[in-house]
Amino acid sequence: MSEEHLNVNSLGSKGLLYQKMVEEIQDYAIIIMDDKVFIQNWNRGAQKIKLYSEEEILGKHFSIFYLAEDLENDLPGKLMKEARDTGRAAQEGWRKRKDGSHFWGSITITALHDEDDNVIGFSKVTRDLTDKKIADDKLRLSEQRYHQMIAEVQDYAIILLDAGGIIENWNVGAEKIKGYRSEEVIGKSFEIFYTEEDKAIGLPQRLLKLARDTGRAALEGWRLRKDGTKFWGSVTITALHGKEGNVIGFSKVTRDLTQQKIAEEKLANYTAELEIQNSELEQFAYVASHDLQEPLRKIQTFAELIKDNYDDKAFAEKYFKKLDQSAKRMAELVRSLLNYSRLAKDKDDSSALGEVNLDALVTETKEDFELLIEEKKAVIRSGALPVITGNRIQLGQLFSNLISNALKFSKTTPVIEINCTIVKKDQIADAPKTLADQDYYQLTFSDNGIGFEEQYSKTIFSLFQRLHGKQDYAGTGIGLALCKKIAENHHGFISATSELGKGATFFVYLPVSARV
Amino acid sequence: MQKMRECLIIDDDEDDQEIFLMCLNSVSDQVNGKTVSSGVDAIAMLTADNDYTPDYIFLDVNMPKMNGIECLKELRAIERLNNTMIFMYSTTAERTSLAECKKMGISDFIIKPTKISELKERLAAIFAIVPETNS
Repeated sequence: MSEEHLNVNSLGSKGLLYQKMVEEIQDYAIIIMDDKVFIQNWNRGAQKIKLYSEEEILGKHFSIFYLAEDLENDLPGKLMKEARDTGRAAQEGWRKRKDGSHFWGSITITALHDEDDNVIGFSKVTRDLTDKKIADDKLRLSEQRYHQMIAEVQDYAIILLDAGGIIENWNVGAEKIKGYRSEEVIGKSFEIFYTEEDKAIGLPQRLLKLARDTGRAALEGWRLRKDGTKFWGSVTITALHGKEGNVIGFSKVTRDLTQQKIAEEKLANYTAELEIQNSELEQFAYVASHDLQEPLRKIQTFAELIKDNYDDKAFAEKYFKKLDQSAKRMAELVRSLLNYSRLAKDKDDSSALGEVNLDALVTETKEDFELLIEEKKAVIRSGALPVITGNRIQLGQLFSNLISNALKFSKTTPVIEINCTIVKKDQIADAPKTLADQDYYQLTFSDNGIGFEEQYSKTIFSLFQRLHGKQDYAGTGIGLALCKKIAENHHGFISATSELGKGATFFVYLPVSARV
Repeated sequence: MQKMRECLIIDDDEDDQEIFLMCLNSVSDQVNGKTVSSGVDAIAMLTADNDYTPDYIFLDVNMPKMNGIECLKELRAIERLNNTMIFMYSTTAERTSLAECKKMGISDFIIKPTKISELKERLAAIFAIVPETNS
């Protein structure tokens, strides 16, 4: 502490004011050290930051503030050397207070020189930035975690796009959902996820425009994976804004909702099917009760007539006969209805499935109608028919109904032809949407009978739909409804074409590879 | 003296035609009954013969090809039948077809009775009204 080195007190009145200022500054520790870095001067800020009083600290070496590991690395020495060599050394780091606690100091050491440019000491200005340091660290950690989080989120594709829709960033979720690795996709346009149809209508750019204009665009739709397969994506594009409010890019968050979509569609299909079944059931109950009440009502009426005219033998006999006919009709209806309702019940019974030789079915049906065929001198010809997997009893009913209809609705000698070819779904006219896309046996039953007007080609398959009066052609109006159900039970389809007086052709489609 | 009134029965069931005529003839000698077996035949006849304007039409609902409701639509298009009393005449009445018929303006929806006496009473009450077609 010799005066030739540095005398902080040898200053004028202006210097005194200056000294006071330094002494009383509270936010900075301002220390003056001699050329051996022993502390010569201590201000209020230094006391506040480092907790030593002036008496305690004066004459101490400045390394007192350094942590053990810094001392080991001789940080104080290095800083001092730097200040001595270059005039100045600045550093931020943890320092030690008197009570052993640490603070984050921003330190500038400046070398002080005499007129001959010899270093005569150092000033050291320290600012306590502990609060800022902690906040900065927290922020950095949080940002780091945030980036990590986005990078590692698996269930969402989170992508950063530039203002033109070029992909800048790619997370694990995006790789998982879309199948591209980040190096394959960064730098490409986000349009690669869109189908050709969507691109043709400009969907990707419209979404960007919407996001640019309104801040956000959200849409669900089918999108493409790298391998060309589709997934149902729920997409939200959010515009990112610069300080001046201009759009600098977009975030695009995509969730793969394919499973949900499939489940939803399944549910919608089930619901639709259920609604159809319910309305069918309602219709069934109505028509069944109507058609059953008709003969029942007649039986009551005829009985009343007979009772009131019991003495008139001829009259009574006539109405006894009618009564009997009504009762028989009723019995026939009940039997057919039972048959029909059983079909619905057997629908899912796979134990009834087996190999059915359709050639054999034709032969059996011919035997059943032997008398009628003989009486009408009917000709039934059939080409080679396949062996299929199905319900033998139901398919027997189908053949029996179609062949008996062809025999029944004839005015001349019936000629019936049964043939089979294989067709694709798109070759089937009026095929329902629900029909699976596969190959079908097309069985045709053509006749030369009375036929029907084309306009009835669909209604004839409805329950109790009849095109003729009961006195002209007998029947319950259930036969073709039954055929329709049987075809449907076999995951097939039935249709018919005709022209009045020119015969009819019924087409039965049954899957080539049966679902068991 | 009033001229004979005309009643047309459109029903595909021959038994029901027979029972209806039997009752009609026993309750009134002022009404002529005529039957046709289908809606198609009825429309063909009514459009071909302009001199025949029935005062009453009884129309079955469940018939092959053209059902009663479709037939009613066609009947409503024939202007000279504007004052004809049209009755739906069916074994059962289903809610939707009932509502549809009422919308098209019918005089009544009659459920075919099981008792002869009931049908007679019903017809006697109806024939007590002389529609304006007969003026």
